[in-house]
Amino acid sequence: MILSNAVLQILQVGCVLLLAPLLQGFILKAEERVQRSCGPSIFQPYRDLWKLFHKQSVVPESASWIYLSAPIVAFTAMLIVPILIPVLTDRPLPLSDMGDMLGGGMILTLGSFAIILAGLDSGNVYGGIGSSRAVMLAILAEPTLILVLVGISLLAKAMLPFVVNHLLLGSLSVYWSPAHLFLILAFFTLLLVETDRLPIHSSTHLEIYMIDEARILEYSGPLLALLKWASMMKQFILYTIFCNVFLLPWGLSQLGGPLGQLGSAGSLLLKFLLVALVVIVVETVQSRLRFYRYQEPLAAGFLFAVLAIVSSQLL
Amino acid sequence: MFLAHVNSLQASIFSSLAVVSLLLTFVMLGSHWLRNYVYAFAVQSWLIAALSAAVGYFAGYPELYVIAALTALFRGLALPYLLMRILTRLNVKRELHAALQPSSSLVLGALLVMFAFIIANHMNRQSLLSARVVIMALTIMLSMKFIGFLMLAVRDEAVSQILGLLVLENGIFLGSQILVPGMPLLIEIVILFDLLIVVACFGMLVRFLVVHAGTTSSRELNRLVG
Amino acid sequence: MIRDLLILLFGAPLAAIVLSFALRRPRLSEYATVIAAVIDLGVSIPLLAHVVRGPVVLAHSYLQVDALGGWVILCVSIVYTFASIYAVGYMRLLNEEERLPLFYGLFSGFAFTMLAACIVNNVGVFWIAIELTTLVSTFLVGFEREAESTEAAWKYIVVVSGGISLALLGTVLFYWGGSLVLGPSYAMTWAALHQSAPSVYPPLLLVSFLLVLVGYGTKAGLAPMHTWLPDAHSESPAPVSAMLSGALLNASMLGIARFLGVVNGTTISRFAHSAVVGFGIFSFVIATLFIVRQTGIKRLMAYSSVEHIGVQALGLGFGGALGVAGALYHMLNHSLNKSLMFFGAGNAMRAYGTKEISGIRHVLKTFPVSGTLWLLGALGIAGAPPFALFQSEFTILRAGIGGRYRWAVIVFGVFLVIVFIAFLSHFRAMYFDEDPRRGSTRISGTLWRTVPMWLAFLPLLVLGVWWPHALWDLFTEISKQVLGGMP
Repeated sequence: MILSNAVLQILQVGCVLLLAPLLQGFILKAEERVQRSCGPSIFQPYRDLWKLFHKQSVVPESASWIYLSAPIVAFTAMLIVPILIPVLTDRPLPLSDMGDMLGGGMILTLGSFAIILAGLDSGNVYGGIGSSRAVMLAILAEPTLILVLVGISLLAKAMLPFVVNHLLLGSLSVYWSPAHLFLILAFFTLLLVETDRLPIHSSTHLEIYMIDEARILEYSGPLLALLKWASMMKQFILYTIFCNVFLLPWGLSQLGGPLGQLGSAGSLLLKFLLVALVVIVVETVQSRLRFYRYQEPLAAGFLFAVLAIVSSQLL
Repeated sequence: MFLAHVNSLQASIFSSLAVVSLLLTFVMLGSHWLRNYVYAFAVQSWLIAALSAAVGYFAGYPELYVIAALTALFRGLALPYLLMRILTRLNVKRELHAALQPSSSLVLGALLVMFAFIIANHMNRQSLLSARVVIMALTIMLSMKFIGFLMLAVRDEAVSQILGLLVLENGIFLGSQILVPGMPLLIEIVILFDLLIVVACFGMLVRFLVVHAGTTSSRELNRLVG
Repeated sequence: MIRDLLILLFGAPLAAIVLSFALRRPRLSEYATVIAAVIDLGVSIPLLAHVVRGPVVLAHSYLQVDALGGWVILCVSIVYTFASIYAVGYMRLLNEEERLPLFYGLFSGFAFTMLAACIVNNVGVFWIAIELTTLVSTFLVGFEREAESTEAAWKYIVVVSGGISLALLGTVLFYWGGSLVLGPSYAMTWAALHQSAPSVYPPLLLVSFLLVLVGYGTKAGLAPMHTWLPDAHSESPAPVSAMLSGALLNASMLGIARFLGVVNGTTISRFAHSAVVGFGIFSFVIATLFIVRQTGIKRLMAYSSVEHIGVQALGLGFGGALGVAGALYHMLNHSLNKSLMFFGAGNAMRAYGTKEISGIRHVLKTFPVSGTLWLLGALGIAGAPPFALFQSEFTILRAGIGGRYRWAVIVFGVFLVIVFIAFLSHFRAMYFDEDPRRGSTRISGTLWRTVPMWLAFLPLLVLGVWWPHALWDLFTEISKQVLGGMP
């Protein structure tokens, strides 16, 4: 039995919504296990979200409507992006024509932008620090992201992620071409930066090093839950793009039956396991970089993206 | 001519080897530690030796196997060994980037690669062969030259400058393997030995620098002006 | 016959090298070097006479002796002889007795590599010979183990190695261009390049030529690649400076001349000539500006070398029989005159104990005879008649004024006047300024140090008033054979 497109669409969004905390929990636990300590349970983020939804919300006096609407904007943006990218199925679903890869990137950035505004909104010192640092990272990372998307479009001669997926599935020589390998490396650097892994590690709890945490310092209760969930979903989405579009395009459901969806979700988790392990290894062997040296890994990412574009022209 | 009949498998092998060599040049540009430079150079030389062997296999020049073996031996083992000896004797670990930060050098290097691509395209347009391999070989040769000169220009430490020169030579060697594999054997062997002598001379000079001038950093060698 | 001459030409310095390194006796090394140099000088004249009629190819076409190569061999041998005679007297003043054999071994090795560069037929091996000259001369430059000498040697080797790697790239590109015409594997002789050049894709040919020009121009000391030259020429011992200025720069110009000849018949010939003229004028201007404000005596001589290499480049760039003749004659005259100047500078440095011009006064009191020679040499190197440099510069001016490069000739003339004034004002200060504080010490070895100055001066005077017809014929031959120029 083939599920209808609407059901598949809902399933995709729901998969992202529900499995995002699981990925976060897995990463946190694995990090701790690698360092020989016990670590929290992998279902802990669910419990955290549940707890936050039941807490009282404390709003600062100087907050405006931006404070209240930013978490909702971010959360919604994170719900829209899974519609555009291949999460569970191989073929493009009707609503995925809403935006191509560049559009998906822009919506992700919209979510971040809303939270940056919220950090500035209440006039808190830490909010200001967090927002300005986050903007600086965004300035360094955005050109690389755009170049990566341009590179992959040049490779596939189309801007839709589904076309890229089919291309990589079909042609082994394109998969192993230098352009593609460089794009993988560039996107991996971006992944590390955007999901707050070391060497940038913006989600530390020490105020002086905070980047992302400082933006949401003022939030509490359900709004905080929405924000945390949005950042977990962003991580999940970035992993999805990395795996399904770049690195491991296999394992997506082609027909659309319910068993296929389950299998697809399972393979998704498996792929994420592999990528997360690599990320954790990279994180554990590095130490934190000084703020003014953040440009170095990002410059390397930029370099990879440029080399990818040049290689795609040469071959 | 060999390059006119290259098929896609050969092209991708040559391209991957050459592009990874270029990547290693960027490692040299972006790293802070002098040891990493020497390791990157060693791996690069091995890759170029592999490229040489591949060209010899596909184009039918058996003498290139000899060149490949000699390259791997001399450029891949002997030169890095000599450089590491110089390093340990000098007792310097880090390169202090006074002129250009590593991240800016990486970006500048990327721009230089694009510039080299434009030049290679122009030199090759409509004329000889539109084989992509040729443009790629020219691009990588020219970009390694540019990056080598960049290293020579902005680096302070003597060892970084030596490595810049070696990268220059490596770039020419890489290009010549793909473009002119039929170049007489004598020339290639003599150039290889020449490089060894050059590095030996550099080693001696660096020792003199330390003993008599007291420093190996170019920033401090400024007694002769005007 | 040629084979025997060549064996003598190369065997003599080789024997000197072996004797110096094996036996390690200072006096023996000195005399061996002088004898080897004199033998070379004696051999180079009949060699030149023999190859005027046509190039001789030997050793499975690995060696080729043609008129241009023979002429440069002559210039190199002359400087080698004078410098080695001077070195006997000069180096004894340095109090480095046990290292002298090393010096003389390297000295003869330096001469050997330069001579080798003149006769190799293969473009790649030519590059290797030039690289070897760099390596050998670096240790000569850094011979006095001072901080400044070591610094100068380091800058020399880094800048020049970087520069000639560009020349290697240009050579590879030339070979590639030729391989598309002549087939994938061919011997890279000068003749092969001449043959393939007209059919090579012009942008590729242009890029290759420019790379070679910049590469060998670094070695020759054309601005803006001349930055190593003042340091290296000023910090090395005086005989080595004479060799560097008089012989090495000529050998590098040989490379540029040959490549210019290769592209002479092709579509990029105009651009190539303009590029050479551009570099020549730029070198001249830069050197003049630095001469005006110079404070060190040997650096002054070094910038004067840059200036004269610029003049040679101008001559080659102007082209035609007149330009080439002027440039080649300039090679010889500059070698003679610059050796004279460096010998005088070496004397002054040793006697007054300083390299600064302000520290040298009343030269005539200390050196009545050689001081006069030095002053007359300064007149000569600034371009005044009746000395030989005036003849060659005037010829180059004549070559340029008729053609497209009139602007260059005007700039040349103006800056020539400036150089004359500036250079001689330094000398006026050294000779005629009253300064009782500056004293000098007497130094030994007068005969060894003065004889080469006479030997350099007399031909300078003679050639200034008489341009032998044989030489004129030689230059026309060279211009036709190598450079394909029209008379």
